[in-house]
Amino acid sequence: MTGAVTREPTTEPTGSAAAAHVGLFRLYRAELRWIFRRPRTLVVLGLLAIIPAVMGIGLAIGSSTDNGPGNGGDALLTAAAGNALALPIAALAVGLNLLLPLTSAMSAADALAGELAHGTLRSWLLAPVSRGRLLAVKALGVATFTLASVVLMSVVGVVTGLAMNGTGGLFTLSGTTLSFGAALVKVAIAAGWVSLQLWAVAAVALAISACTEHPMLVVVSVLAGTIVFTVLLMLSAVDWLHPFLLPQSWTSIVDVLRDPIAPTGLVEGAVRAVCYIVIGLSLAYARLTTRDG
Amino acid sequence: MSEATTAVPGVPVAPTGTTAPAARTRGLRKVYRSTVAVDQVDLDVPEGAVLGMLGPNGSGKTTTIRMLLGLVRPTEGEVELLGRRMPEGAGRALPDVGALVEGPGFHPFLSGRENLYRAAAAEPRLAGADVPGAVATALERVGLAGAAHRRYRGYSLGMKQRLGLAAALLVPRRMVVLDEPTNGLDPAGTREIRKIIAELHAEGTTVLVSSHLLAEVEATCTHVAVLHDGTVVAQGELDELLESGSPGLLVSTPDGDRALASLRENRIPGKLTPDGVRADLTATTAPKVVETLVRAGVAVHEVRRERTGLEDLFARLTQHETPGPAGLPEVDEVTK
Repeated sequence: MTGAVTREPTTEPTGSAAAAHVGLFRLYRAELRWIFRRPRTLVVLGLLAIIPAVMGIGLAIGSSTDNGPGNGGDALLTAAAGNALALPIAALAVGLNLLLPLTSAMSAADALAGELAHGTLRSWLLAPVSRGRLLAVKALGVATFTLASVVLMSVVGVVTGLAMNGTGGLFTLSGTTLSFGAALVKVAIAAGWVSLQLWAVAAVALAISACTEHPMLVVVSVLAGTIVFTVLLMLSAVDWLHPFLLPQSWTSIVDVLRDPIAPTGLVEGAVRAVCYIVIGLSLAYARLTTRDG
Repeated sequence: MSEATTAVPGVPVAPTGTTAPAARTRGLRKVYRSTVAVDQVDLDVPEGAVLGMLGPNGSGKTTTIRMLLGLVRPTEGEVELLGRRMPEGAGRALPDVGALVEGPGFHPFLSGRENLYRAAAAEPRLAGADVPGAVATALERVGLAGAAHRRYRGYSLGMKQRLGLAAALLVPRRMVVLDEPTNGLDPAGTREIRKIIAELHAEGTTVLVSSHLLAEVEATCTHVAVLHDGTVVAQGELDELLESGSPGLLVSTPDGDRALASLRENRIPGKLTPDGVRADLTATTAPKVVETLVRAGVAVHEVRRERTGLEDLFARLTQHETPGPAGLPEVDEVTK
């Protein structure tokens, strides 16, 4: 009864408007509610949160690891052992190699392909939500989830680092010691930069997601892509290709730990990521608008 | 439902008046790769009608509906929904259209209510503050209020179908499109859907129902469109379509033999039926038959126009021989 009475006035203003649309913010809020109520999201976030903690404990126990196998992030891991500042950044660097891109890919896969597979995309298209707005909401949702996972890892990393080493060991790779505030700023910069790289992955994943209704295909594509790119980066025969590969600058995250920060690699990586985002979202938009719903 | 009837005056009625159809297609054609899904479909859905879209599986019902709603771009032809060209006018037409297409689509890990909240978030006709009220009303209307808190995963097929219906009825609509709404429903559920369709009809809402269940269409619809192999083989008012094929009058009377004799005397062809006689109306009219019988002193209990069941009509239209000669309105040749 009251429903009809209260609904009546709202019909008038929207009805007289040219084309009725729901505000982007309302859709975004509904999207976040959906993302963060999904059990899978919470499980993934929980697992990601464990990584820095496990790394911290592992490094503390095996502090005699010396210079074991010659892996890429070796210096970073060694530095992280006795350093509260390095631990969150080392955790992000490790995650950036595979786990975090896969997380973004999963989120992007659910956003379009997964919704399409469930037939749930249709209800928004029929509301109607225009395809452009749909992509905007989906991209924002994926970006938010990615940011949340990076921030979560960073926070757990900082807390673990502080619990193990206290505020004493905040020294940089250049040998200088930082105040707690300055260290947090460095962690924030690293988190922001890693998020940007992941958004680039997610944008491409969204483009794939717009082309299929099999979410698994999106995740597998990103997994395969990451591995292939990493292999290509190891081959000097194709070094002309390297500037176009997103993971080219992922090792530059170590530069955040220098004092002052060595910007060249980081800026180059940021520019590359922005290019990937623009291309990825354009492809996703082109596919989504021409596709049969 | 008193709620629904009070809501009707608040809904702005089409300024164009009742002459314009709620939905219309002209020369609609859709080709997927090499298969022609829909070909030359000229469909008219009159405002306020309950149109049953009938056809065997794969006859192009869902594809037509998807093009009508702007989900699919036609290969050729025009679509108009509530006076707007589709799919370009989707932003203006669709807020007033509720739809359940290709089965209900919801997230298994969310409860029925949460799923509706998510659908309601995108409804332009629903202010944010009104969402909980509208969701509760819709759940109540389809009889799911008791199961609203349960996860969609655990719903039975019928409950899923009802939730889909609830999503289509979140706001008072000018038109409601239901694609196979009774799929998976038990007889009681089917009756409830029929009741809801009747309520919508009483409110003046145009309803488009697709189905392959003939009885369902016969019971709920005012208009029918029959699709076969992607083309419309017949459309029009249900009564007209049913009558057109059978000019016969059924008379129930205890003294059938006398009735038959008096008909024969007046050169009206007829035959005996279990409860009386059937008079052929090809050469005469119903009043004439009744007059004849009454003059002959036959006790007439009941007289009614013979209707071929929709089943006969449907069989005739969708079999590959040419449709009957009985002058069906808008009968197209079944072209391959």
